[in-house]
Amino acid sequence: FPTRPVDRDKAETELSLNIKKATSPEETAPKQKHVRKCIVYTWDYHSSVSIWTGLRVQPILSDEVQTFKALIMVHKILQEGHPVTLKEGQNQTGWLETCARTVGNDGQRGYGQLIRTYVSFILSKLRFHRHRPEFNGLFEYEEYISLKNIDDPNEGYETISDLMNLQDQIDSFQKLIFAHFRNSNNNECRISSLVPLVKESYNIYRFITSMLRALFRRTGDAEALEPLKQRYNSQHYALRKFYYECSNLKYLTGLINVPKLGQDPPNLTDNGAAPELP
Amino acid sequence: MSSLQHMGKSTLRVVKNYTKGYSDVQSKVRDATSNDPWGPSGTQMNELAQMTYNQNDFVEIMEMLDKRLNDKGKNWRHVFKSLTVLDYLLHAGSENVVIYFRDNLYIIKTLKEFQFVDEYGKDQGANVRQKAKDITNLLMDESRLREERRTRASMRDRLSRGGNPD
Repeated sequence: FPTRPVDRDKAETELSLNIKKATSPEETAPKQKHVRKCIVYTWDYHSSVSIWTGLRVQPILSDEVQTFKALIMVHKILQEGHPVTLKEGQNQTGWLETCARTVGNDGQRGYGQLIRTYVSFILSKLRFHRHRPEFNGLFEYEEYISLKNIDDPNEGYETISDLMNLQDQIDSFQKLIFAHFRNSNNNECRISSLVPLVKESYNIYRFITSMLRALFRRTGDAEALEPLKQRYNSQHYALRKFYYECSNLKYLTGLINVPKLGQDPPNLTDNGAAPELP
Repeated sequence: MSSLQHMGKSTLRVVKNYTKGYSDVQSKVRDATSNDPWGPSGTQMNELAQMTYNQNDFVEIMEMLDKRLNDKGKNWRHVFKSLTVLDYLLHAGSENVVIYFRDNLYIIKTLKEFQFVDEYGKDQGANVRQKAKDITNLLMDESRLREERRTRASMRDRLSRGGNPD
């Protein structure tokens, strides 16, 4: 089934090695080349089962850094893996909860709270995708539009407020990550968890912007939409601050382009297109 | 790096092409996407583009590009040049190249976070990341790709008819 020249046996063996290396005990970012191999695997074979199995057999839960790296990896695979990954991820809530339960109160190296918050964010993300399978893992607007074929505002209100809930969760999680930076050592491992958060928050932002605009256009009922607009505005300022702080992290800006938002939130009654990709 | 070293490398490549039993077509892809510090030449890319119209050659080219695109950080030039060649093939090669890489878009998309810092601390991954982003956007924009392919074809047409107004 892959149209690429591949060898499944070899892929399976390499996969467990990739998982092991991505979740090594060193306090660094999970190496992208290993994470990438996992993502590519899900597309080649339309399955993520071996990855979840691989994660279970690795002895990662006894070490907070390994657990945190595993969560970063899981997040990235849910975002960029084949859509089946989001479905199969639904069966992994038990394992995720175990990750949160196993880590000591604050952990020796201060990852305890980060792990618990990351798990609860991933669980919310999985719940969202269960209810709304038309969104891909990274909330990519182009793919949504091509799937739905239209820019339909009718399903709007509720979807927007669910998206906003996720956005709020990302925001409190990123604040927690920044609060856990340590002056003494490098923060590469913590910073690398911001990468998928920047991408996801920006795509959600683009989504909400165009859906709200469509709602305003379609209903013209500014009064009913006022609460969403208020919330949109405050999320705009929060995101702007988040990206500003990210843009000062050299390690992060070397990996991705951090978006720069305008001083004020975009006008929702304009007919403007979605904000550009960074 | 001295040119002697590069001479050594290209000789080694010739030997590898032979001992590993690479076909002519595969050797051409390997030459165009080598670790030499200069880019693939227009002639090389054009030749590969023409060859994608032959089904057998097409398969061999895709196979070798796939290998190069998935190479490790130290060989970032393999990856970068494969993207350069791919960009060219998408514009001037057969429609099959477009279909193949739409199907396997994730190979390119996941290179948007490619990382490699060389021994002098220079971030060589940046080139790959930017190119991967450009090609992803191109592949996802059907109408732009159509338009660019059309322009390229008519330009080639005019050039080839240049001295021969019939």
